[in-house]
Amino acid sequence: MSEDPYSAQIRELFADLSHAGDLDDATCAELEEQGVRIRLAATHREGCLQALRFRAWGCPHVLVACEAVCREYEGRAAADLEQFRASEIMGILSIPVEKTGRILVIEDTVRLLGRSICGSSVPPVS
Amino acid sequence: MKTDIIYLDYAASTPVDERVADRMLECRASAYANPSSNHLAGRRSRDTIETAAAQLGALLNADPRTLIWTSGATESDNLAIAGAARYRAPRGKHLITMPTEHKAVTDVFRMLEKQDFEVTWLEPDERGRLDPAVLEAALRRDTQLASIMFVNNETGVIQDIEALGNVCRANDVLFHVDAAQAVGKVPIDLSVLPVDLMSLTGHKFYGPKGIGALYIADRPACYVEPLFFGGGQQRRIRPGTLPSDLIAGLGLASEIAAGRLHDDLAHLATLRASFWNRIRDIDGLFVNGDPDSGFPGILNVSVSDIEGESLLLSLEPLCVATGSACNSQAQEPSYVLRALGRSDLEAQSSIRFSFGRHTTAEEVVFAAGRYAKSIERLRELAPGDAA
Repeated sequence: MSEDPYSAQIRELFADLSHAGDLDDATCAELEEQGVRIRLAATHREGCLQALRFRAWGCPHVLVACEAVCREYEGRAAADLEQFRASEIMGILSIPVEKTGRILVIEDTVRLLGRSICGSSVPPVS
Repeated sequence: MKTDIIYLDYAASTPVDERVADRMLECRASAYANPSSNHLAGRRSRDTIETAAAQLGALLNADPRTLIWTSGATESDNLAIAGAARYRAPRGKHLITMPTEHKAVTDVFRMLEKQDFEVTWLEPDERGRLDPAVLEAALRRDTQLASIMFVNNETGVIQDIEALGNVCRANDVLFHVDAAQAVGKVPIDLSVLPVDLMSLTGHKFYGPKGIGALYIADRPACYVEPLFFGGGQQRRIRPGTLPSDLIAGLGLASEIAAGRLHDDLAHLATLRASFWNRIRDIDGLFVNGDPDSGFPGILNVSVSDIEGESLLLSLEPLCVATGSACNSQAQEPSYVLRALGRSDLEAQSSIRFSFGRHTTAEEVVFAAGRYAKSIERLRELAPGDAA
């Protein structure tokens, strides 16, 4: 059979987007670029991320990457968000290179969320 | 039929009828000889081909001698359009078609434009139909050929072939019809229809892939210059050794289709109505094409606030077609839907459901439910006022 355009991980996560949704009393970051729209919400205490949720409009790779980010960063330091790089998640999920532009929107949104929580004045990543 | 999929892509291709498959296997054993040979085995192959031509001729009510075998509709379209344009070039080099035609047609016209032919591209109305008056107004003294498809492969829109053909006949313009989606599916009587050239392919109506035909009316000045050379088969219009097994398969598929055309149409109309009644109340849904008078085997719908690729993945195990090529590098929305006035986003979210002989009522109920749930889920995922 010819190659499936979606990796097994993409399929698995797409079927279980358990972090889709909203959170009460959350800090939010939202961006719309490259034909996708992403909103991330996080609750945090003393610099630690308690819960993360997302809403997104985009292709399956975008939705799944948002889910993966939420799963990865729950329980970690909020400052870690500012170190997030799209290339990491693209490799882990086998996201095709032509989707790089869209996944970079996630990177920008994740870093924006980190700055919103930590109050950093680091300029946005282009 | 596999049970891990629900196949609703009959406009792309149909499964080969078991009787057709059996016939082809039988021919591989009994009619393997070159049909151009005059020995007994060759004559046996030739008889097989003549039987198939009679079967296809009966389906279309056409003289079998007017049928030229090809490799499929793409070749038939190329042969008809390029062949007729070149043959009639000394009379004039103006041609007419529509932007909503299949690529096998539009790309030939674009090639001819580069060879000093002038092409007028007629826009459809908002439902995808061409008004015969619009065609008539586009005719010029040097117009030689018009090409309009019978049933649109993306939307199921049916053109008024008789009225359009009459306009061409009255003005001595050759009329080519790409009938790949129509033959074996809707009644076609070429003894009545004013059609000069008509393309068809076997795999759209439960026959094999790799075999098609071009009808060339037996009329003065209705001729095509060949695209291929070598051998004198098929009056030198399309030389090459004929694949008797594939032709026999297409012939039997034609005979089967002729015997159940109206039953098939009634079945498709029931399925389409059932599907439509289950999804019609989805907020923001609209039909691409003519919801009232299109071919009942095709229903193309869009929802403007849904991302097409995610919708397509959500629909699995449904096998359907989409109006985008989003998971390829060329992210190109359907040019047919764009020509109907749809935005890129609307075209990209379009889904073509196409039903067939083997589609069951249960499959349609499941598919409609999956479609509605997928849209609901993707809307829930989206940030407020997305897209």
